[in-house]
Amino acid sequence: MQYGWNVRERVEFAKERFATFAFCQGPPQAMALNDEDTLRKRKPQAGETISYETYVATHPNNYVNLGIDSAIQSTANMSAPPTCAPAAEAFAHRPRETPLPQTNLYVVVAVTLVAGLVRLYRISNPSQVVFDEVHFGGFASKYIQGKFFMDVHPPLGKLLIAASAVLAGFDGSFDFKSIGLDYLEPKVPYVAMRMLPGILGVLLVPVAYMTMRNLRVSNVVSIMTAVLLIFENGLACQSRAILLDSILLFFMGLALMTWTDFLNLQKQPFSFAWWFSLASTGLTMGLAASVKWVGLFVIATIGFSTIANLWALLGDLRVTPGQYAKHFFARVLCLIIVPIAVYMTVFGIHFLVLTNTGSGTAFMSPEFQSTLRGSEIKDTFAEVGFGADILIRHENTKGGYLHSHKHYYRTGSKQQQVTLYSFADDNSLFQILPALVYENGTARSPAVTQFQPIKHGDIVRLEHVASNMRLHSHEHRAPVTDNEDHYEVSAYGAPGFLGDSNDHWRVELVDYDDSHPHLLAIESRFRLVHVNLHCTLFSRAVKLPEWGFGQQEVTCANHKGRKDLTYWRIDLNQNLLQNPFSRRAYYKKPSFLSKFIESHKVMWKINDGLNGYHPFQSRPDSWPVLGRGISFWSAKEGTGQMYLVGNPFIWFSALVSLGLYVTIESVAAILQKRGHQRTAESVAKTAGGGGPLLFLGWALHYFPFFLMGRQLFLHHYFPSFYFSVLLLGSLFEGATRRFNHLFRSFAVLCICTVAIYVYINYSPLTYGIPMSKEHCKRLKWRQSWDWDCKKQLDDPIE
Amino acid sequence: MEDDTISPSSTLSTLRHRKGHSTDTSLDTSTTPPPPQQDDEDQDEQDTKKQQRPPYNPQRGFDAMLLLVTFMAFFTRCWNIGDPAQVVFDEVHFGKFASYYLRREYYFDVHPPLGKLLLAAVGYAVGYDGHFLFDHIGDDYIEHGVPYVALRLLPATCGALIVPVVFLILKELGLSVAGATFGAFLIILDNSLITQSRLILLDSMLTLFCVCSIYAWIRFYKKRHVPFSFEWYFWLSMTGIALACTTGVKMVGLFTVAAVGIAVLFDLWNLLDYRRGLSLREFARHFSARALCLIFLPLVVYLAFFYVHFAILVKSGPGDAFMSPAFQDGLLGSEMNTNSSAIPFFSNITIRHRETTAYLHSHPEKYPLRYDDGRISTQGQQVTGYPHRDLNNHWTIEPVDPALYPSAAPYTPTDQETERNVRYVRPNDLVRLRHARTNSHLITHDVASPLTPTHMEMTTIPANDTNRYNETLWKIQLVADDSSDKLWSKRAHFRLVNAIHNVAVHCHKGQLPDWGFGQQEVNGNKALKEANNVWWIDQVEHARIINGTEIGEPIIDPKTQPQKPTLPFLSKFVELQSLMFAHNAGLTKPHPYSSTPITWPFVLRGISFWERKAGLRQIYLLGNPLIWWLSITGTVMYAAMWIMDRILLRRGIDDFGPIRTWWDNAIGFLFVTWLTHYLPFFLMGRMLFLHHYLPSFIFSVLVLVCTLEFCFVRVWSLSQRKKSVLRPSRTYVMLTSLIVVGAAWGYWYFAPLTYGIGFESVPSLQSRKWLSSWDLQHA
Repeated sequence: MQYGWNVRERVEFAKERFATFAFCQGPPQAMALNDEDTLRKRKPQAGETISYETYVATHPNNYVNLGIDSAIQSTANMSAPPTCAPAAEAFAHRPRETPLPQTNLYVVVAVTLVAGLVRLYRISNPSQVVFDEVHFGGFASKYIQGKFFMDVHPPLGKLLIAASAVLAGFDGSFDFKSIGLDYLEPKVPYVAMRMLPGILGVLLVPVAYMTMRNLRVSNVVSIMTAVLLIFENGLACQSRAILLDSILLFFMGLALMTWTDFLNLQKQPFSFAWWFSLASTGLTMGLAASVKWVGLFVIATIGFSTIANLWALLGDLRVTPGQYAKHFFARVLCLIIVPIAVYMTVFGIHFLVLTNTGSGTAFMSPEFQSTLRGSEIKDTFAEVGFGADILIRHENTKGGYLHSHKHYYRTGSKQQQVTLYSFADDNSLFQILPALVYENGTARSPAVTQFQPIKHGDIVRLEHVASNMRLHSHEHRAPVTDNEDHYEVSAYGAPGFLGDSNDHWRVELVDYDDSHPHLLAIESRFRLVHVNLHCTLFSRAVKLPEWGFGQQEVTCANHKGRKDLTYWRIDLNQNLLQNPFSRRAYYKKPSFLSKFIESHKVMWKINDGLNGYHPFQSRPDSWPVLGRGISFWSAKEGTGQMYLVGNPFIWFSALVSLGLYVTIESVAAILQKRGHQRTAESVAKTAGGGGPLLFLGWALHYFPFFLMGRQLFLHHYFPSFYFSVLLLGSLFEGATRRFNHLFRSFAVLCICTVAIYVYINYSPLTYGIPMSKEHCKRLKWRQSWDWDCKKQLDDPIE
Repeated sequence: MEDDTISPSSTLSTLRHRKGHSTDTSLDTSTTPPPPQQDDEDQDEQDTKKQQRPPYNPQRGFDAMLLLVTFMAFFTRCWNIGDPAQVVFDEVHFGKFASYYLRREYYFDVHPPLGKLLLAAVGYAVGYDGHFLFDHIGDDYIEHGVPYVALRLLPATCGALIVPVVFLILKELGLSVAGATFGAFLIILDNSLITQSRLILLDSMLTLFCVCSIYAWIRFYKKRHVPFSFEWYFWLSMTGIALACTTGVKMVGLFTVAAVGIAVLFDLWNLLDYRRGLSLREFARHFSARALCLIFLPLVVYLAFFYVHFAILVKSGPGDAFMSPAFQDGLLGSEMNTNSSAIPFFSNITIRHRETTAYLHSHPEKYPLRYDDGRISTQGQQVTGYPHRDLNNHWTIEPVDPALYPSAAPYTPTDQETERNVRYVRPNDLVRLRHARTNSHLITHDVASPLTPTHMEMTTIPANDTNRYNETLWKIQLVADDSSDKLWSKRAHFRLVNAIHNVAVHCHKGQLPDWGFGQQEVNGNKALKEANNVWWIDQVEHARIINGTEIGEPIIDPKTQPQKPTLPFLSKFVELQSLMFAHNAGLTKPHPYSSTPITWPFVLRGISFWERKAGLRQIYLLGNPLIWWLSITGTVMYAAMWIMDRILLRRGIDDFGPIRTWWDNAIGFLFVTWLTHYLPFFLMGRMLFLHHYLPSFIFSVLVLVCTLEFCFVRVWSLSQRKKSVLRPSRTYVMLTSLIVVGAAWGYWYFAPLTYGIGFESVPSLQSRKWLSSWDLQHA
């Protein structure tokens, strides 16, 4: 028996053999040869080159001793799927069997209309602030008034809401301060504002229908999926209030739809339709990420799918390296550069709209603040001389200015407190004085009569202007950071007492070089080193206890840890001795890019800090089983309440379909591994067409939440849930593929009926309309669904 | 060309022949391939060579080198181990825990017991009685008579043994003598591993068990051609035991479990392949053998450590407060035993919050009419949490009056109650709490509480106000099931749930503003199951209770065994294990030397363990930068080359050919092991330190060594059409020697920081400061 053992030979063989197969056109014949029984019977002809599988199958005695080295194995691996690798297939669709399905325009219109009726019904109810409308309505007001604010979410969703409010004539005078405030009295155009998420929520339904059609799911099952999405109480409830989630979901669904479009166009690379679908995928992904960062998960999903797609393409040896590069860069352009451009444009608009100072100003650096109208950051004398009154700002925490006040430490020396305080007031003003001079054992404070600049290495004293106490440090442990590396910093002095050498600090410029030895306001960063203790004035984001009014602790740090926390900067420099025409320093206006980066750092920090407590927060493990909902609103008088809870029937069906999908794929993989090729294929078909992509989408939108420590809510599961509903449709398609059309339609009808029935039952919670106490209690299938039934009247109809 | 040709003995016998265990030195999935026909020429060529000179036998070289590296490892780890004779860094913790074992006092720590048990065993063996508590860094050992050298010798021995195990791993992977020795030397000469091994710390034990697990797994894997043989079972169970020991020292041992787990799944998936010819029955046998030895056995061993732990620590100690009342009940001399009593109605009690230990408190001051945020309150009497003893913490516990609340459960006195003429509070009873000094009852109502608007306000109403009677009723809901029909002080943890509003009394660390004197907020929480809703009763005043014990109840002597049977072992274990996880995740307090995982492989920063001004001495945990930078380069190189190879293969270009199996499986396994020991740290929220990287560092060194061996020996012999790869080329030997010489220089250069022997002058210290981020104390 002769078989090719030279590697190149095997590759040539593989190329020849599969050149005839069209790209991704179902399993090549080698797979069919794998059928064990056929193979065992088949004797190889003399001189015939046979594949690895054939060899193994015809030599049963060599089963344990596999007998072919890795070179053969690798070509064998290649020989099976170079044109349709399993990895590629995992994310793309199943091999094509049917021609590209057409979306039925009538169906699109019909499901949109039904969705519109169901979702927008009584959208004006309740005419009060609901749940997070507090935030998103409030942001719309701020956009309209141009007041700068900070929020954890990117601006697109809020900008769209603000735009709809402006169109409806809102002037931003209402502040959406708390849940339950009335909209009618102050004439807030809340219906128009709710319409935006509402309509996008409606449009998600036809998008889902078309996505299903792109995944080669039959018309009737695609309609079923659309109906399930219409009659989903959670999605309906969420899209009826001024919230971002339905906006996010819409763009996300759109991205998935265009991507499936693109996957269907693999045979016509670089055609107009191909470019169009690829570019619009990039555009919609960018829009999704500009609404909420959760949009990044859809980018990840499509990213993985792209890698699989490119990997499949790499195995197609007819694609030349040049063509491949073209493919590669087309995707880089559309899927990386376009979304980034979209995202940054949205931020550009955000900065253009918010031109005045507002609640978010304090989060930002002075450079940033100086770009806002009405900010307190002004220019000041550049050269700092002895005798100047200065404001000293801590560089790397947002703690604010060095501060002291007539209150005393409760620990250590019990002397006057020195803190960081975020607002500049009179208590933050320090006068910078030269060091004491000792003559014959008595100290003297040298008089300053003319302007004398301060240089790197000068020893200074800092006198608190309001109390005439001097910045002081000594060998006492710091009040909060109670370890040997930190000394307490206090303000010390008494009338007629000149102070001692523990008031002496050496000025060290951080970016010191010989040509620029002078301390400059705004422009130079400096450290203050305590002359006696060799420690450095330091602060970190730690608050003093209540006796320090929760202001930030200031210590003198000995350790060599975070150097950047010892940097200070002078924001205000007043000096009567100075020539009034001397050079002034001002903060440089930051470029768009640095504003963009700074906003992101702050957003990330705020997002990290969202670990407060909310009574309706929940952990990700409770979401797929619908552990708990969110109370959106409940009427002060009367019995209406809005409570976000999913349609349990759809919710649990989706959960079951996830489990089924995993089971089917595992069984198919094991069957394949055990050599039952045909059975494995038929089992895999049960999973339907879109399985791998949809399951990947579900997992990538769900599991990352487990890593987040911040407070989470049920609505964070919606993107993931959307994928699981589509997977449910796809699985239903696969499972009923042998049914005749009539029977399948009947099954669809049954499912839709049940879903609608359950929806109607739960609709009082969704629309915030009263219901009877019994009805309310009957809906509580689970103990953990904590809407309040006690407030309900016995029967509202009477 | 073929896998087998690289094994030592197969060059002696014929190529086809497979001779049981000692022949198969390479880690691959496929078994011996039949010789290709074209190979005849090569074989002839080789036969002629064989006649020319005696067969090359590397075994003697391996033995000699094994001895050498072991000796050098012991020398570098144990040299001058008694210096400094002071408590250094985390010896504070681990020395202290060893002392507690010797005193048999219960303590709590986030790490499992094995490492500390071993330390205690050494202490016991040298007659140490645990009198010293290692309280501060810098405390003197000699003054306090602590046998610290013996204690330090245990981690040092473990640290030294890592080297021969690494050497054997490399040997088993099929490396040449030169390659294996090279790898062992890189481990010997790494300064951070030495520093970490010379002190009373757990990491060297952890790392030793970790590499032992990997070694045992490789030995097992190479026995796969003789499944179910004695040796096969032996190495499989050794893997399991070593994994249990690794996890028994620190929970990061789970990463080793993950690494082996991935290898097991990979192996099982290959076994499932129909081309292997295993029937499902045989496969099931393979599966269950692995489940038995790698899941069940390690679990038993791991539990055994805890069994010993509980068996030793029988006295009440500093760890009591962490545990549940039922657990504390079982400790000798615990307050749970000696001071607990049943609570009769109308006794005066103080109620404490479990999480913050504050007392439930009230005082005559009222809530302000208007809060800072503009909300309006009822101006009721304040109810707060107060951490100190105070007369305002006293509450009288009263039964419900069936006349005013008809749906209360009827009360029938027990015989004991009739005899003693009292009525005891029972679990799930409805009670009223009357504040003793202001004579008012605790209620909650539908008004937002001051700091947490989503929770209900707690206040009190005068005792004679019967209109709101129902709102003063609280149900005592026990957290854990208790068979007792009485409510016990100290022992019973419970929630107080309002009968009408279904909210539990909740307290948290949040302080009220000045009007509330900075005391903690207390309110009604709708989410009943939260940990912050749990309370227990501390003191009880009643005519029948004297010194915490009721008349008629036996007085318990703290010295004797507890009266009540202790908790079953498994529930003790589950409680301790979940506390360990919770507290480990809670280790978020900033530490000046903590670092982020991304900085670790690049030696951006070390940890200062100890320092003394005199003699410019400092012990600074710092990797040998040459080895560390080289190893991370090697690891990244491997990943890059692996990806390149896959891409080329996909394009039909196959450069590695037959040696790919070793490239993928042997180095791939080490690479995955490196990843599993490194990546999970990126997901951890707790404070992290450089020494967490040490196990991964060893695997990155192994990846480097194997990648070099692959490039310079295997690829070379493939291109030379050489059969034997065990006699490496001269270039390779030269290259590795050069690296070892460089590493040795780095070791010597940084040794003063490693051993803390100090520097002669500041400039010589300053010259060591290669990166500005290294915190050399006296530079």
